[in-house]
Amino acid sequence: MRTFLDRLYLAAGWISAFTILAIAVLISAQIFLNFATRVFGLPLPSTIPSYADFSGFMLAAATFLAMPYTFRTGGHIKVSLVTARLPVRVRLVAEVIALFAATALTAFAVYYIWVLVAESIHFGDVSNGTIPIPLWIPQTAMGIGMTLLCISVIHSLIETLLRGEPVIAASEEA
Amino acid sequence: DTWDMPTPYGDATFHTQNINQFAADVAAATDGALEITVHSGGSLFPHGEIRNVVRSGQVPIGEFFLSRLVNDDAAFGIDSQPFVATSYEDAQRLWAAQQPVVTELLAEQGLMPLFSVPWPAQGLYTNGEIETVEGLAGLRFRAYNAALEEFATLAGAAPVQVEAPDIPQAFATGQVEAMVTSPSTGANSTAWDFVTHYTPINAWVPKNIVVVNMRAFQRLPDEVQAAVLETAAAAEARGWEMSAAEADAKTAIMAENGMIIVEPSEALTAGLQEIGAQMLTNWEASASESALSILSTYQQ
Amino acid sequence: MSDPVVGLILLGLLFVFLAGGLWIALSLSAVAAFALAFFSNSSVGLNLAVTFWGHSHSWSLTALPLFILMGEILLRSRLSKDMFNGLAPWLGGLPGRLLHVNVLGCAIFAAVSGSSAATAATIGKMSIPELKSRGYPESLILGTLAGSATLGLLIPPSIILIVYGVATEQSIARLFVAGLIPGAMLVGLFSAYVAVRAWMDPTLIPAESIKLNLKEKVWEARGLIPVALLISGVIGAIYTGIASPTDAAALGVLLSILLAVLSGSFTRSDFMDALLSAARTSCMIAFILLGAAFLAVSMGFTGLPRNLASWIGEMGLSPYVLLAVLTIFFIVLGLFLDGISVVVLTTSIIMPMVLAVGIDPIWFGIYLVLVVEMSQITPPVGFNLFVIQGLTGIDILRIAKAALPFFFLLLLAVVLITLFPQIVTYLPDAMSR
Ligand code: NA
Ligand code: NA
Repeated sequence: MRTFLDRLYLAAGWISAFTILAIAVLISAQIFLNFATRVFGLPLPSTIPSYADFSGFMLAAATFLAMPYTFRTGGHIKVSLVTARLPVRVRLVAEVIALFAATALTAFAVYYIWVLVAESIHFGDVSNGTIPIPLWIPQTAMGIGMTLLCISVIHSLIETLLRGEPVIAASEEA
Repeated sequence: DTWDMPTPYGDATFHTQNINQFAADVAAATDGALEITVHSGGSLFPHGEIRNVVRSGQVPIGEFFLSRLVNDDAAFGIDSQPFVATSYEDAQRLWAAQQPVVTELLAEQGLMPLFSVPWPAQGLYTNGEIETVEGLAGLRFRAYNAALEEFATLAGAAPVQVEAPDIPQAFATGQVEAMVTSPSTGANSTAWDFVTHYTPINAWVPKNIVVVNMRAFQRLPDEVQAAVLETAAAAEARGWEMSAAEADAKTAIMAENGMIIVEPSEALTAGLQEIGAQMLTNWEASASESALSILSTYQQ
Repeated sequence: MSDPVVGLILLGLLFVFLAGGLWIALSLSAVAAFALAFFSNSSVGLNLAVTFWGHSHSWSLTALPLFILMGEILLRSRLSKDMFNGLAPWLGGLPGRLLHVNVLGCAIFAAVSGSSAATAATIGKMSIPELKSRGYPESLILGTLAGSATLGLLIPPSIILIVYGVATEQSIARLFVAGLIPGAMLVGLFSAYVAVRAWMDPTLIPAESIKLNLKEKVWEARGLIPVALLISGVIGAIYTGIASPTDAAALGVLLSILLAVLSGSFTRSDFMDALLSAARTSCMIAFILLGAAFLAVSMGFTGLPRNLASWIGEMGLSPYVLLAVLTIFFIVLGLFLDGISVVVLTTSIIMPMVLAVGIDPIWFGIYLVLVVEMSQITPPVGFNLFVIQGLTGIDILRIAKAALPFFFLLLLAVVLITLFPQIVTYLPDAMSR
């Protein structure tokens, strides 16, 4: 179970990574079209329709899908100067409380993000660019990312309680 | 009650000034029973979210650019269809035909329009004079929606997507060579920094709209509701006058700053009208029934 | 409840959450949720969802992960090491030596990127490991990076100047031009500070181990060619109109992949590492941006910044006193809100009073960028600090301490442009003649 979840977080992280690469490729294609029509006068359309919309939606997907992997590997930062000076037992209690709070907050966010997705589906919301893109599609990526984040927080909370020590790699000082 | 009202444009825009006046008038007319706090310039929510947050009741009232919703139903976008309505009189008649349809469509989402105010008619910004439609051929033309993209293609220009904030730089670097926008936007973005000629081709007269959440509105006491509606009607009338005054004032500002204002030649007008007719034919082929009904009412 | 009490409660909560070790993005979101729940009549959950959505797919944000990816690729290829080897012999005689790479590197990169976070991430990714391994003092590495990266906002293109220009309907072209001399002035101030520190304490900066003659220096400088090509390619694409600033970030990614592969030391696994690492870093920054945006929305609903700003307006101050009070006001807001939120939440109230006392709106835009730059390096909410903590694992409070001298240098720059407004207005005025 544990390795399955960590693989799941990593898989979402890879999807995110390749989405960022896809943004770079899409925008580069747009630059190439612009360049080709201007410099060589090729009879190409000089615009990929709605490429800014597509890039933005891919960015949202990339951001949220990377959430659980980033969380588990200590990528989301926090102020550790205060808790680092506490005795080990107290520090553990603080970590557990923080994980409880994070569970509550992310669960709350997950619920309302799916409410938003449902609303977009209900009203058939689409983007306002040249190509109408149903908003529930990129919003679903956001929902999946936040849901996985919430799962990874609960996962970390349970592990912390079982092991009696913090499990999230405090991003070590390089 | 206090209502938070997100609006997309900054305080220097006449739409925002009209809305600030509307908010003050509502407070006065209801003896402070309803106060509206205007959050201008997208400071509360981005433009793209304003319709949705009013719909969900997060805020009871908001303003947005009406033809943003064109992908929901073509009826929302008819005021941005080139050369359908090109004067304030035509725009008034078009809004009279459009209003009942828009009201009905918005009601399906629990929204109610309060008032709608046009931007000054859209003119052409270029370096050098454009005497005929052929003069646009080969120019890189700023297009930010499907209609403009079609327009550019029909005129033989190359549509280029440029986001509003990038306009000055896009012109300065030659990424774009021509655009269509209102004299307000032209003057406010100091168009004389990057183009020489302004041709008021009055391509279309797009509108902003102020909508309320129906449930929030119905929660108001009857006399407050009546006061809001009355104030809104006054705001609409005032807004249309402000828009006309704005068109003249901003065109004058552009002239003062050295831009050359050229009345469109007959050949250019005729050529543009032809493109408009072509686009309208294409549009009719795919438009929704509600949108077509607006057009037939308007053309009667 | 009165505004000051509400403000203090929210501040107290933020400190408790942050000190308790709650993740920064979540701390900001939690305070925002609390503020909405108790001090507004809008829905907490719906506002959270809409804000997270509305701010996560913005076009201008797209450049951020791309620039971060570019930095990751350069780091993993030989290019960044070659660049430092090429620069080292030339900067050997200058007090502060390679620390100036942080300052100048940020200044050059600022001409490509519109944000300070992207600047800190890209330059820091390369310079921190390199300068550390050469034995430079940590506080100066972190300080110069955090401070100089704020130039991303001042040297055009600049997201914050676009936001200000759109909100106040000032010419964005003029604002960009107005930022040039102040930007150069800041580069000078930062470099001078580094030089003075090095001159006062000669043991601070590690000595250059190898002495090269001119021929060897020139030969070593060949390492600079790939990065010079990359930067001129990206800047060239922007200033010839082939690419918008956001587009240029994508071009930077492609060019850096190309150069890294050509340099011969960049493997497929390097590339994969760079991709995943970029996803992780940009996710961290974006999550905090979303938390900050949610906090800004909640502040919009509670009206605290507005009320505070109108309270200042009611004092009827003279221009210099008004500027002094506003500077304090912006520094305080900048502790807790990100720079763009500070601008959008307050311009409505601030602009009329600024114009009323006869302050030039273009000048004020640059002034605002300088105070917003300060906010990027003040804790608890300072994006450059977050980025650098993300890169190094060093706690933001320690980074903030290292960046403190640069905070004061920015303050000095504010004083200088107030005393000599021509620093700002000269170029835009020349433009209109
Ligand atoms: Na910049
Ligand atoms: Na700060």
